[in-house]
Amino acid sequence: MFQNPEIALDALPVADDLDWEKLHPHYSRRIRVQVIIVFAVIALGLAALNFVPNVPLLPFVILYSQWVIALTIALFWPGISVPRRGYVLRDKDILFRKGVIWRSVTAIPFNRIQHVETSNTPLDRKFDLANLQLFTAGGSGGDLKIDGLGKGIAERLRVFILNKAGAPVEDA
Amino acid sequence: MKTLELDTWYRTSPFAILFFIGKTIRLLAKNAWQSLIPLAGLAATDKFDVISIIKIGAVGLGAVIAGGAILSYWFFRYRLTDDSILIRQGVVKKKQLDIKFGRIQGINTQQNPIYRVLKLVTVNFDTAGSSGNEGNLPAVTRSFADSLRERIGKKPRETVAEDIAAVADSTMLVSLNWRDMVRIGLADRRALIVFAFIGPLMEQIGDQLDGYIERFVLLAAANGIDFDAASGLWAATAIVLAVVLLFVLVSVAAAFLQYHRFALWLDGQTLRSRGGLLTKHEHSMDLGKIQTLRLQQGVVETWQRRFRLTARQAVASGKNRAQKVFTIPSVGAQQADEFRQLFYAPEAGVLTQDPRSDVFAPISPYYMRSRILFVGFLPALIITAATAVTAGAFSLLFLLWLPVVAAVSYRSWKRAGYLHDDNEIVRRSGFLGYRTVGLLFRKVQRVTVSQSRYQRRKGLASLRMYMASGSVKVPYIEHETAKRLRDYILYKVESSDRAWH
Repeated sequence: MFQNPEIALDALPVADDLDWEKLHPHYSRRIRVQVIIVFAVIALGLAALNFVPNVPLLPFVILYSQWVIALTIALFWPGISVPRRGYVLRDKDILFRKGVIWRSVTAIPFNRIQHVETSNTPLDRKFDLANLQLFTAGGSGGDLKIDGLGKGIAERLRVFILNKAGAPVEDA
Repeated sequence: MKTLELDTWYRTSPFAILFFIGKTIRLLAKNAWQSLIPLAGLAATDKFDVISIIKIGAVGLGAVIAGGAILSYWFFRYRLTDDSILIRQGVVKKKQLDIKFGRIQGINTQQNPIYRVLKLVTVNFDTAGSSGNEGNLPAVTRSFADSLRERIGKKPRETVAEDIAAVADSTMLVSLNWRDMVRIGLADRRALIVFAFIGPLMEQIGDQLDGYIERFVLLAAANGIDFDAASGLWAATAIVLAVVLLFVLVSVAAAFLQYHRFALWLDGQTLRSRGGLLTKHEHSMDLGKIQTLRLQQGVVETWQRRFRLTARQAVASGKNRAQKVFTIPSVGAQQADEFRQLFYAPEAGVLTQDPRSDVFAPISPYYMRSRILFVGFLPALIITAATAVTAGAFSLLFLLWLPVVAAVSYRSWKRAGYLHDDNEIVRRSGFLGYRTVGLLFRKVQRVTVSQSRYQRRKGLASLRMYMASGSVKVPYIEHETAKRLRDYILYKVESSDRAWH
């Protein structure tokens, strides 16, 4: 039988004050390792400059100090940004928040998800991490990418969301 | 027409060669025109006998294109099965397309003047998703196109007659006459773009012209006619007017080319349009596929009190992210609202999309303030400070940036707004003109509420609704409102069991 009960706006579920799931505790460390690798490569490049003859000292000092400053920021930043990221899995949708200065909360209803993908890089595997990507229609690339999930959790999320996404839709 | 047998490979009519030639030329025009610039530079140096090189090149290129087209035609074959159409094509790289009838959303046809004489059409299958694999079937008979329509379960149009009267059995919505063509042409913004491109060229032409005028004046003086400064001004004005007139004529001609005898009608649940002077374009879009309706008005259209209404369908994923846009080139505000009602019925369509309506809720004035602060004041200050040492007092000129940004921000804020009810939302924006975008909540794909630091301090947020056709942002509204709208949209999407596409 067709039903169309009235719905009070106040009774709607509120996507606020939720228990945000944190990312995997190893994730910050994983980012820092990547930062160190990248900066080591840059350092090698800088070191190679030493062999160039007749370069005044000042540019070197500026370059090296910039390297140190950038490295310090890049190492500290995950400590600030990673705790700000989190996700909530609800019965009918998933929410993901991120951002320190520019904050955003993205919500994707399961019945709009086209497909789900998990991936991991060699570095991720070292830390037992994986990334989860959710795709909706019309988006380019991953519409929602959650990095730094535990490997097991990412897989469980994938299966859970995929089951939900397969819900039958009546044709218009 | 002979009926086609199932499971047999067919070639299309040899006139398809024309289609392949056109396709190659379009491809060249799109991708290779930049490489013509050095050629033009070469021509200017007149070191080589460039003209003859170009002649040889053109003949060679023509031969290659024609040969390629013949080969493409030869290797192009199609086959009908019970539930799909297979297309095999490709000379070097073979490609086979299997287009399932169930996946075809519409069949569009195009007819250029030669095909019109021969009573042939080019069929374009409109499939959801991968637009890289779009299927074209060049040079087939119209009755075949109609039989295809029948096959995929879409009601075929009654006749192939040129008359608009032929479609009288379905609901006729719009037919545009030559006056509308002139209106569309006048409002065409592309003319301005062309103008910007050839602007630098104009200078050179102007130099040449100066020479001519000078000689003319001398000649006149020799004959006892005296030109004063005023008549010089008149001459300059006349030249400018002539150029403007030329552009207007070109855009009006373009409007005729694209929309001549434009007709829009509703065929069951499918919108269809037809128009075009030389090549006739026929488009179709299922009402259920519409993601957003956009009503746009440029400066000229403001004077005309006309709008351009476009219905947008999902963007295909993949490399060619082409978007299906269904355009109604010229409508009035009230007419547009009537269409909305018709397109979104029965669930929605009651809101107005007329930007002049006073029911739009404004967004926060902090929108304006933040733009003035971050786009205007800070950059102007930084650049002024940075150049103060070298440029001296001239650096203060950079501060003029500030009033410009302020004016633009104020105007954009004034024109921004939104409006919603239980089923749909309309957002208004614009700077010179107006643009309103309307969508159904239940077709939203995902939704984001975001805040900058500045917005957080003021308790504001931006709401962005991602549709399958692109996103629609409502900036600088109360954070609480944004969150409530988001929760409501999620509820609408999650409780809807109707397809969004």
